[in-house]
Amino acid sequence: MSVSNLLENWSKFRHTHPVEDKGHPDWEAYPSEIKWAMAIDLDACTGCNACSVACYAENNLPVVGKEKYSHGQAMHWMRIERYWDEDNREFPDQGAQFLPMLCQQCEAAPCETVCPVGATNHTEDGLNSQIYNRCIGSRYCSANCPYKVRYFNWYDYPTTENVWPAPMEQQLNPDLTVRGKGVMEKCTFCKQRTYTARNNAKTEGRKIHDGDVQTACQQACPTNAISFGNLFDPESRVAKQWEQQKVELTKEEQEKDVKPGNELRGYRIFEELRPYPSVMYLERVRESDV
Amino acid sequence: MIENSFNRRDFLKVLGWGGTAVALSGCGNTSIENGQETVVSYSEPTDFMIPSIGVYFNSTCAQCDAGCNIEGRVREGRVLKLEGNPASSINRGKLCGLGQAGVQAHYNPDRLREPLLRNGDKGETVTWEKALTLINEKLNGVKGEEIAFLTGGVSGHVKVLLNNYLDALGSKNHYAYEAVSPSVVRAANKKAYGVEMPRLHLDKAKVIVSFGADFLGAWISPVHFSQQYAQFRKGNRPEGRGVLVQIESKMTLTGANADRWIPIRPGTEGILAMGIINALGGGIPADVAAAAKDYTSDRVSEHTGVPAAQIIKLAELLKANSPSLVLAGSAAEGYVHGSQNAAAIALLNQVLGNVGRTVDATINLQDTRLTPSTGTRAALQAFNDNMAQGKFKVLFSFGTNPVYTAPAALKVQENLKKVPFKVAFAHYLDETALEADLVLPLDSALEDWGTSVPEYLVDPYLSIQQPLMENLNPETRGVGDILLSLLKQRLAEPYKPYDDFYSFLRSAMVLNKAALGGTGTDDDTFWNDTLGNARIRLPATVANLSPRAAASALNLPAPAREVAAYPLRLIPSVSASMRDGRHANLSWLQESPDPLTTVVWDSWVEIHPKTAAKLGIVEGDIVEVTSSNGSVKSQAYLFPGIHPDAISMPLGYGHEAMGRYAKDTGVNVFKILDPAFDKDTGELAINETNVRVNKIGKRVVIVKEEGPNGGSQLGRKKIAVKVSSTKVDLSKEV
Repeated sequence: MSVSNLLENWSKFRHTHPVEDKGHPDWEAYPSEIKWAMAIDLDACTGCNACSVACYAENNLPVVGKEKYSHGQAMHWMRIERYWDEDNREFPDQGAQFLPMLCQQCEAAPCETVCPVGATNHTEDGLNSQIYNRCIGSRYCSANCPYKVRYFNWYDYPTTENVWPAPMEQQLNPDLTVRGKGVMEKCTFCKQRTYTARNNAKTEGRKIHDGDVQTACQQACPTNAISFGNLFDPESRVAKQWEQQKVELTKEEQEKDVKPGNELRGYRIFEELRPYPSVMYLERVRESDV
Repeated sequence: MIENSFNRRDFLKVLGWGGTAVALSGCGNTSIENGQETVVSYSEPTDFMIPSIGVYFNSTCAQCDAGCNIEGRVREGRVLKLEGNPASSINRGKLCGLGQAGVQAHYNPDRLREPLLRNGDKGETVTWEKALTLINEKLNGVKGEEIAFLTGGVSGHVKVLLNNYLDALGSKNHYAYEAVSPSVVRAANKKAYGVEMPRLHLDKAKVIVSFGADFLGAWISPVHFSQQYAQFRKGNRPEGRGVLVQIESKMTLTGANADRWIPIRPGTEGILAMGIINALGGGIPADVAAAAKDYTSDRVSEHTGVPAAQIIKLAELLKANSPSLVLAGSAAEGYVHGSQNAAAIALLNQVLGNVGRTVDATINLQDTRLTPSTGTRAALQAFNDNMAQGKFKVLFSFGTNPVYTAPAALKVQENLKKVPFKVAFAHYLDETALEADLVLPLDSALEDWGTSVPEYLVDPYLSIQQPLMENLNPETRGVGDILLSLLKQRLAEPYKPYDDFYSFLRSAMVLNKAALGGTGTDDDTFWNDTLGNARIRLPATVANLSPRAAASALNLPAPAREVAAYPLRLIPSVSASMRDGRHANLSWLQESPDPLTTVVWDSWVEIHPKTAAKLGIVEGDIVEVTSSNGSVKSQAYLFPGIHPDAISMPLGYGHEAMGRYAKDTGVNVFKILDPAFDKDTGELAINETNVRVNKIGKRVVIVKEEGPNGGSQLGRKKIAVKVSSTKVDLSKEV
């Protein structure tokens, strides 16, 4: 393989369900009216962790304890990363930077192409999904994920680790499983909630409306930093935000990157790797002259 | 229904209504009292509860005193998840992590399941009948003043029953103790504005200058203030995007979100406030100007460590942006002169003309019997003194854990031994319950009935707490039920109509439905609506502020000299999830990283890298932190957001009991605090402890969320991105 070959944009071949890639066979077979997406306003995010705890409550995440945490085995699908300004000042006098990090539900997900058994693949509503009972635990997906948001069940948490001692198991959400040992798991954009909302809409013979479904993290967030909805619905808040920030799902370079002085603050993390993430972040705004 | 020997006024008193708030509904017994209706739990399945479909019931969060309104998702008779109630004016559908963890408090494996009676070192299971009989026996022949109640903050109908019980016993000894409470600010507000808790409008301010008020973390009503903060930051409001300046010795969560975080020498917050007043220049009242005369920027800078240019800039910022809002929080109030600091900060608010604009009138409920008995640390001191003198023969306690939270120097544990009979109502066998002679197991907040009025009132609403499911353990009881049983022992007749706290509560509400907006509805409809909303408007008036500047009386000492033996100042930190340690047994909170250090499952010592370098300390070194009242050992964490003269350790860790997740996780910082008190209010001055830090020659790898590169993005430009406000247009954003 020549170098020029290597540097070619190969992402079009990695799409398993590329949005608006109308020529793709998957699109013909399953045209979708829904593309779930998110926008997280880092200026509103205070780093309070409410989203993360809400995710534990909603998605049956095991609490692993100090020792396993030290091995990097925490199972927080939604975690808050904290960064400091790196300008060598004595004090962080413009505060800290908080970044809620969760699965970015990439359209051309690096994790999907490496799964030897097709356990991680793309749904027609634009989610990067994990099929637990197909997963053999190779962990290739996690190795290939640039965001490090895939979490592996190193232990049998409900039984041998007794993570939910009685009567705590009664809190478990019956709408989704408790994952077993040897299985990879990750944020699903609260699949159980979107699924219910879609079924309800179908029963009522209508399309999904904005606000029909909230993810657990979005619902808890005290500052409304997270918005979630259908990117294909121009009336949804998330679509309006993406539109306003001129962030396009299928591009790896946005107007913000190319046009100077554009006054935009929407961006996606690691866009340059061309995974086409479904989560847009809005830059944290700081008044520098005070 | 009013019995012959029992007049109308007493009857109202029993139910907790008094004064003008009461408009009695016509006549007659309620259907419960007539026996026409059986009392069933609200969690009893009904026809709209379909297997596999979650149904939401409204209730009230009991995790902290903010009293957020919640809705619990109930499926197959189990409560699975809590969300905020969108109709609430407090939290508007939102809920913090601490609130989310309410389900873990409910399903906690270490909850007490049956009454325990002390037999030597052991607790033996007894029946409720025996337990209550024993209390009755122990109270016989004991004088009222020899009986004491030690509680946390209480409000609503539990407070009514508690007061009624105290009356029945002839005791006035109710001590409401909270280890972490805004009591100095409360007192300072009272002096400055005439009310304890004015309503704040963060969302209306152009600039917020907060002296250590962690309103996004653990201060008063964090979810409510977080929502106001989100509005404050919006570029599309008429005032434009607000600017937040946080001044404190140790960075809080709020400080981490500030546009400018200013580290200040511990205890000099009041001096800086006066310095800003001085720098404002003209246009301020003559007496205030006179009081601020000596606080020139140079002198203030020397005392506070804040550069003079910064002080002038702050004054200019405040002058140019009105209305602003100046807040005083626990970082400014935890000193011997804490009240003076808070008063100086309140004075700054007045001078800036914020009173009546961003500091607004407070709501007074017409009926004060439901309003909270707010917990203070001063109450513990009074209680402890009396206990040390052997004044109490019987002690009841609930909602507070002084054996864990009191500084060791107060010797609370020792003094408790002087009380011959101690009853603890408890969820867990915590440190205080372990000292008790009789422990009565409580229902969880998701099993119990109750009402509450938050201390910070957004709107005059009574929040109602109702069971979201059947009791997990048949032998636990609600606080209200226990108090009612005890009351019946003393005053059988007036309480005879009420089989349990539920019927008491229902009668209290239904009886007063005319005043509660239920005129014209029948009792059942009114009651069902009330439970459906789980909140109901109470008659109230708006109490306008009466600002009184008392500039001349201020007494702000220069910063304390360094004590050679203890060169560093210990600033204990109150985290949004651990608070005073009462939630330490919730594993979600233990595993939820501290937002700033990202440490989990342990205590830590925050040291500024400069100070650490001087002491030869690197991250993970186990250090011994010694005050004149004891020492604790914990892992050092190099933290840039702290004044180099100070170190910080989190409160809430290091329990000796209370359950598997809390016990032996971290160390208890309360224990080594010096018993220093605020001169004006008698509050424990939490930041007045000087310490020294020594390495003990052991090093660990800190278990934390952040990676080995600390908070570095390793040169990546597009992970967490910050932009200057001049480079974006926020005015039209959706």
